[in-house]
Order: sequence, then C-alpha cells, then structure tokens
Amino acid sequence: MAVQTLEAPAGAERWQMLAVRARRRRRLTDSLLIGFLVTVSVPIILPYFWMLTISVSAKTGGVESVVLWRASGVLVPAVVAFGLLRLFVEGRRLLWGGLMIAAIALVALLLLVGQDLHAQNYRFLWNPDIVADIRGRATAEAQFPSVWVAFRNSLALAVTQTALVLTVSTLAGYYLSRFQFPGRSGFLQGLLVLHAFPAMTLIIPIFLLMYWSGLLDTLTGVILVIATLELPFAIFIMKGFFDAVPWDIEMSAMTDGASRRQAFLQVVLPQVKVGMLAVGVFAFIKGWEEYVFVRTLLFEKQNWVMSLYIFWVSEDIMGVDYGIVAAVAVFYILPSLLLYIFCQKYLVQMTLGGIKG
Amino acid sequence: MARIELRGIRKQWGAVVAVEDMNLVIEDGEFVAILGPSGCGKSTTLFMLAGIYMPTAGDLLFDGARVNEVEAKDRNVGIVFQSYALYPHMNVKRNIMFPLKFKGVPREEAERLALEAARMVRVEELLERMPAQLSGGQQQRVALARALVKKPQLLLLDEPLSNLDAALRLSMRSEIKRLQRETGITTVLVTHDQIEATTMADRIVVMRTGRIEQIGTAEDLYRRPDSLFVASFIGAPPINLVEGEAADGRLRVGELTLELRGDVAGAVVLGLRPESIALDGAGIPARVVDVEPMGRETLLLLDTPMGPLRVLQGGASVPYREGDQLGLTFAPQDSILFDRETERRLADVHAAPPKA
Amino acid sequence: MAVRQRVNALIFLGPASLLLFFFFIAPVVVDLFVAFTDMGRTLKVTEFTTENFERMLTRDRRLSQTLAITFVYVLSTLAVFNVTFGLILALVTTQVPDRIGGFFRAVWLLPRMSPSVIYALLWAWVIDPNERGLLNQILMNTVGVGPIDLMNDRPMLLIVLANGFIGASMGMIIFTSAIRAIPQHLFYAAAADGAGRLAIVWHITLPAIRWPLSFITVYQTLSLLVSFEYIWLITDGGPFYDTTVYALYVYKRAFENGQYAYGAALALVLVAIGIALALLMWRFFDMKRLLQQPRIEVH
Repeated sequence: MAVQTLEAPAGAERWQMLAVRARRRRRLTDSLLIGFLVTVSVPIILPYFWMLTISVSAKTGGVESVVLWRASGVLVPAVVAFGLLRLFVEGRRLLWGGLMIAAIALVALLLLVGQDLHAQNYRFLWNPDIVADIRGRATAEAQFPSVWVAFRNSLALAVTQTALVLTVSTLAGYYLSRFQFPGRSGFLQGLLVLHAFPAMTLIIPIFLLMYWSGLLDTLTGVILVIATLELPFAIFIMKGFFDAVPWDIEMSAMTDGASRRQAFLQVVLPQVKVGMLAVGVFAFIKGWEEYVFVRTLLFEKQNWVMSLYIFWVSEDIMGVDYGIVAAVAVFYILPSLLLYIFCQKYLVQMTLGGIKG
Repeated sequence: MARIELRGIRKQWGAVVAVEDMNLVIEDGEFVAILGPSGCGKSTTLFMLAGIYMPTAGDLLFDGARVNEVEAKDRNVGIVFQSYALYPHMNVKRNIMFPLKFKGVPREEAERLALEAARMVRVEELLERMPAQLSGGQQQRVALARALVKKPQLLLLDEPLSNLDAALRLSMRSEIKRLQRETGITTVLVTHDQIEATTMADRIVVMRTGRIEQIGTAEDLYRRPDSLFVASFIGAPPINLVEGEAADGRLRVGELTLELRGDVAGAVVLGLRPESIALDGAGIPARVVDVEPMGRETLLLLDTPMGPLRVLQGGASVPYREGDQLGLTFAPQDSILFDRETERRLADVHAAPPKA
Repeated sequence: MAVRQRVNALIFLGPASLLLFFFFIAPVVVDLFVAFTDMGRTLKVTEFTTENFERMLTRDRRLSQTLAITFVYVLSTLAVFNVTFGLILALVTTQVPDRIGGFFRAVWLLPRMSPSVIYALLWAWVIDPNERGLLNQILMNTVGVGPIDLMNDRPMLLIVLANGFIGASMGMIIFTSAIRAIPQHLFYAAAADGAGRLAIVWHITLPAIRWPLSFITVYQTLSLLVSFEYIWLITDGGPFYDTTVYALYVYKRAFENGQYAYGAALALVLVAIGIALALLMWRFFDMKRLLQQPRIEVH
C-alpha cells in the first residue's frame, strides 16, 4: 500500500509529503463530489426553471428560450460566485457580499431579459375563464369551469382529507400504542400488511363500490377513499410518536385524577404535536396533488380539482398557448412547493417513519 | 514512538471555540492524561491528535514535523473509544486484523500479529466471536488489541474505562498501565475521573472550557494546584475553600484571625484539604455537625469560626458524635492560598493557626 | 369496566376500522367477486364465469407483450435508479458538508413532492420533439445534433428516466438515514486504523446498510409493479402499446374498454403479488417494538 512506498524518506520530509498529499486529495474529492451532485441535479432544477421562464415570458413566438439561457447565464455565475464567497468569508461580510451579488444579478437580469418578462400569462387569476379568453366565449363556456372552481375544490378536498386523516389516525394511533385489548397484535400485524400493500391495485373495485353506494362523482367519495388509503401509514406514524411519549407522564396524570380520555386530551396529545404536524402536512400535499383517483372517480366539470383542470387545459390548449399552461402549473405547484420548503424536516421524517413502523 | 508537541492549537466550529491556545509537549514514551469535566475540550484535543479533527489554528508536531493536515489513516495512531467502536459485522479476529489490511501486511503475518495482540490483552479465546457476544470488559480488550496491533507511535484512549463496572475498572487500569510500560508507546488518556488520571498517567493535563489550567504530576496538582479550579477538581472529598481578607500579615476568615506566612494583601481564598486537618482537644474550636462513615475513613462535618469544614479521619469509626466540641489545627505548609480575583494560587504564601 | 373498554374501543378505533374495512378490505372481496363475472360497460352482472381467467391465460396476445415491457421497465428502473443511484446519492450527500448534502437531497426530493400532473408537464416541455423542447435546445446548441423525438424513438428510456428521477429519492432518504444511524465512532476508528474514504465506504458503510438495501429492493419492486401514474400521464402507454406496463394495461382494460370484469381478474394478480410482498416486508419491521405491551391496564 501507499504508506509503505512512502516509508523511504525519513521524519519531517515524510510527514510533509503526507500532509501535502492529504490536502490535495481532500480538495480533489470534495470538488469532485460536489461537481457530481451539481451535474446530476441540473436535470431536475432546469425543467422547473424552464416552466417558470415559460410562464413569465411566453408570447406566441420562440422568445422564451432566449430568456432561459440569458437568465441562466446570469444566475449560474451568481450562484457559483456566492458559493465561492461562502468558502472564504462569513458572518456580516457574507451577508453584504451576498446582497451585492444578488443586486448585480438582478440588474443584469433586468438588462438582459427585463423587456421580455410580462404577467400576461397569469391573467387567468383575474379573468378565470382562460379557454374563453383564447378561443372566444361561445365555444368555451361549455368546456371549462373557472380556475377558481377547481382551486376551491382542490382546497376543500385537501383540507377535509387532512382533517379526516389526522383525527382518525391520531385516535387509532393512540389506542394501538397505549391500550391493551383482545386482538391487538392481530390488528397491528394486519395494519402492517395494509401499510405495505399498494392501494392502487384496488382501483377497479373501489370504483364499483363508489358507483353502488352513489358516491361516484362526489368530492365526499374521493375524500373518503384518499383518506382511507393514507390511513395505515398515518396510523403507524402516529403510533410511533405515541410510543415515544414517556409512560410516566400519563401515569402521573392518572394518579392526579384524570381519566384515560382526559389524560389523552390534556397530557399526551400535546406531546405529539410534531407528529400531527408531519402527518397533516403530508396528507395535505397528497390530497393537493392526487391525480389517479380523482381522474377515475370524478367526471362532472364542476367537481374538477386542480390536477384535472390543468390536465385538461394542457390537453386542450397546449399547442395554442404554452404560456398560460405554464402559468396555471406554477400557480398549482406553489402551495405544495411552499409547504415542502417550510416543512421539509417533518416530511423527511415521514418518509422514514414509513419503515420504522 | 513519537514526541508530540502542540503549539497554540485552537479548534472552533463556527463561533464555538472548543479548544483555545493549547500548548503541550508529550515526550516519547510518556503516559499523559488529559483531565477535565465534560465539555472542556479534552476529547476534541484527542481527536485532533488522531487526525479526525483538524486544528483551526496552531501547529501540531509529531517528532518535530508539522502534521496538522496529515489524515488519520496516515498518522499511525491507535485509538480506543469510550464505546469501543468495534465493527459490529466483523468477528474479533477480523476486527483486530482490520488496521493491518491497510498496511499491506500479508495474510499469515497479519494473523500472527493479531494473535499476538489478542494474547497481550488476553482475548485469544474469543477470536471467532462477534462483538455483540462479548461483555463490556471483553470488548474493551479487543478494542485495545485493535489499537495496538499496528504498533502505533501514539496510543489514544478516550474515556476507555467509563463503561465498565467498578471492579473491572480497577483491573483494566493496571492492565493498561502494564501494556503501556511493556510497549513504551506514547499514550494519551482522556478522562473525567481524577483517580484514573492520577493512578495511570505520568503527567496530568487539567483542562477547563477549552484551555489548559495546569500541567503536572499527580502530586503537583494535589499539593500545588495553580488555580481554584484545579484545587477543587482534584481530591475527594473536595478541598475546603473559605474566603478571607489578608492585611498586615494576618488573615481574617469568618470570625477567626490566622497568621500569614508570606507577603499578601487583599481578598483571598484559603484552601484546606479535609485530610490535612488534624483534630485534638486544643486549637481552633469546632462543633461536630454530622458524621459520615465512608468505609475505611470517616468524614466529619464541623462548624467552626471559619465556617463549615470537612475533615477526613482515618478508621471506620471515630470517637466523635454529633454535637461534640473539639479543637482543630493544620500544618502551615498544607494550607493553600489563592487570589480571589484571579483565582490563581499565591506561591509561597501560607496561613497558620493562631497561637494559643 | 367492560362497558368503558368497549366505548373506548369504539371511539378510538371505530372510525379507522370502519374506513379501512370499506375502502381496503371490501374492495379485495369485491375484486375477487367481479373477477368471476361478466361485468362490462353497463356495470351489470348477468352471469358467473371463469371466462376472464381463460382469456388471460390463453387468448390475450397483448398480455405477454405487456409482461415483457413490465419486466424490462421494473428491472431497469430498479437497478439503475431506485437502488443504485439512490445509494450513490446517499453516499455522496453524506460525504460532503451537511448543509450542501441536505440541499441536494432536497432537490432530488422535489419531483416526489410535486403534483404528478406538473411533473408530467415538465417532461412534456423537456422532450418536446421540436426545437423548443428543452432537451433539443441543449442538444442542438452544445452537441449540434437533433432535434430528437424521445417519445416516439425511445419511449422505454423515457419512462425509465421519468420514474427513476422520482424513485431514486426514496432509496436516497432511506439509505441516508441508515448511514446516519451508524455510530460516528466507527468511522473515526476506521480512519485511525488506516482506512481511506473508499475503504470506509466499503468496510463500514455498506455492511451497515444491507437491510435497508433489501428493504428498498422489495418495496420499490412492488411500487414500480403497481404504479402507472407517470407512464399514463407522460406516454399514455404509447406509442402504440410500447410502454403499456401491466398495471396500466389493467386500468385501460377496465376504464377505457369497459371490461371491468376482465380488469378485475387482471388486477387480482397484482393484489396477490401485493399481499405476498407486503408479507415479505414483515421481516423488515421490528415486531417486538411494534407489539410492545401497554403499561397502563385501566381503560
């Protein structure tokens, strides 16, 4: 091995060589690794950036690709410059340097692409009948609902679904974690199978059940289905959080005179707030983005949610107007993106919680 | 074997400074203990010696050559962790042979060396076991064998005994000391246990919040602590510390006036070891408040004009009871005086009991 | 006491049991039932028959092609992205400083957190066969080839890429947490024992993530087998039937051709595989911890 070939030079010289080699190798591997990560991540970031570019610059004509590359030409050096800056300075000077870079980038952006940017594609926000806008009112009236109808439906679906998942899984998680009852281990093991079992395979019988029970093409039906399919996972997460609450505090609440229900509400529940937040955020994002089940179970235009809306809009007018589709897409992705950015810590925990059981 | 030197070493993470301006020379073949409460930077120092952390500033020298940036794998140091850090998926033999893999030692030779190392720490019967099947003491020995098998120039021990029970700790203490003597490897022990440090090491480095408080032998630390911190950290039961005012060759402590030997004035702290206070009928009057038998010795809590004092008496039982009145005295050279402002020891200053 | 116990069970476990029964257990039974009928577009059952299974086994020519496509799709996505690339991402992001690693993990999780319709739209804009497509812009401006039409020329590659970009993040997260769970001292010990970066990965990291590795393999095989959302949205199984994987085929038979009974019979295969793999996944759970006994006996 390397160490032995280096045995020859004595003492100080040898240490010197090792130090130089270590420094070189460390810099090399670090830059190689980060270089690798940047390279493989560009294909992910670029399409999102492309969508944003289209939404703020597309007119009819090919102007937006110029905007994309000019903007990249400004932003990439700016990000690299900030990265280098962080290596050498810190604290207040980093802040000032960062602001300076941001200011320069902003000016450069304005100069290079400023005249190509416009908010026209977002006109659906105040003029929600977008297809009417493009094709004329007569043809469109019958085809597309207002974007706000879809938005309201999506919000209703996501919020109700979240509340349902949260309530049911918290109750069940607590009971499974803290109560002894006949069939407990059987119930838990069955739940474990459901938790790993792919619900997507049941879409045909679920459709039939909805049809028979008259819940087909109602938001209520979809909410019940989506919430239920989230349940096994959510129950396990909540059970995990309840498992982690020390028994002592519950015992002490009971010696202080609380019943188990009171102890649950007043003492145990506040301990699992983080878990409830994680389950809630996750359920909301799931409800907000759901596609396959809503596509299968909802038909009537007044029942469309955002995913259906944007799907049909893109099917219908993608060839005519890129820009407006991109703008609706940005509008649709924003809530989940913001939630993801702000609750990332909890969401990662959720993904893990899935296997930790 | 190596002579280790730290010159102005500092280690910080962001704004947090873990070690500050550390200067220390460890002679070839020496056994040095770094002693301090948790969070004092002793483990950080150890990890810098190992090459796991890199100093933020200063020079770390092995045999006079700067090794700051030499990686752990090139330093040829052996290290034993508090958790032992045995590789859980390898049996004992493969654990011990692991370091040799990277030195290009041929397989038969490696097996021979591993067996030798295992014999040295008396685990040769456990070679095929997995770490999970070993007791704490056995894991400890395997970790030692793994650290020693590559004949390191520096052996680092990070709280190696703290996970063992009391009896085992005692035997491992002498075992490690024996191994160090036999191999002559320069050794650094990190511990928060003063007994461990004083019984095993040639010299002790006391650290506090990232800085060295004092370097010295066990006796230095006990008799001539440089600071209030060292005085109170070393010795069990802890030293008595009473505040006083020095003026005109006299020391006023509580309601008592002591005589001063040496030149000092102002606010001071008087330190008296519980074991250096003698009891007899005469001297400073005291009343017994509590008697705590400690096995071979007995600790008395006394109420005196200087304030409450702890006094250690030999023997499992003593002829004193709560409420007894008695007198105490001490030898002037056993008293230690500190400047209350700087908390440093006042050299060549002592206090003496008032003449009867 | 017994009454209180029953009321508690009803309050706490009742809602979950009810929902799970109606939308999880009942569908399995319904599927089993419908598979043996002749239910068609009208959703009426006129007779009970094993005709669906005979058709599946003997007459459905499309089926064997679908199975071959599914095999290629699952195997290549799994091998290249979900396991291998997920592992690479986990290893690399844990080697660089934590903030940087965390940032890149967040980037790779982004597609998983985006609505699937949007994700499909992104792909549509990327692979647009004319010169406006992002991929073609890049190819034409840098290499000077193109425009290419991925959708029609390399549809398999397209669906493997599209699913792989999402699939890799699951492995990445699981492996990252497994690597994080390795005691730091082991890495220190190995470094002091002379192991370099690669040797540490080989001797310390990889042995410690054997279990997560097999978990991810089983789990992702199952998800790839049953999910068709992205394929449906991006290629719609086409061109022709070239990217119609089994799960999508089942869906189309039922909802596009109105052959609900035949779809149910086809789905039965997936249900069986799903239950089998779900049972296999029991092995990855810490049963003892899961079934830990409650310590308060009062209800």
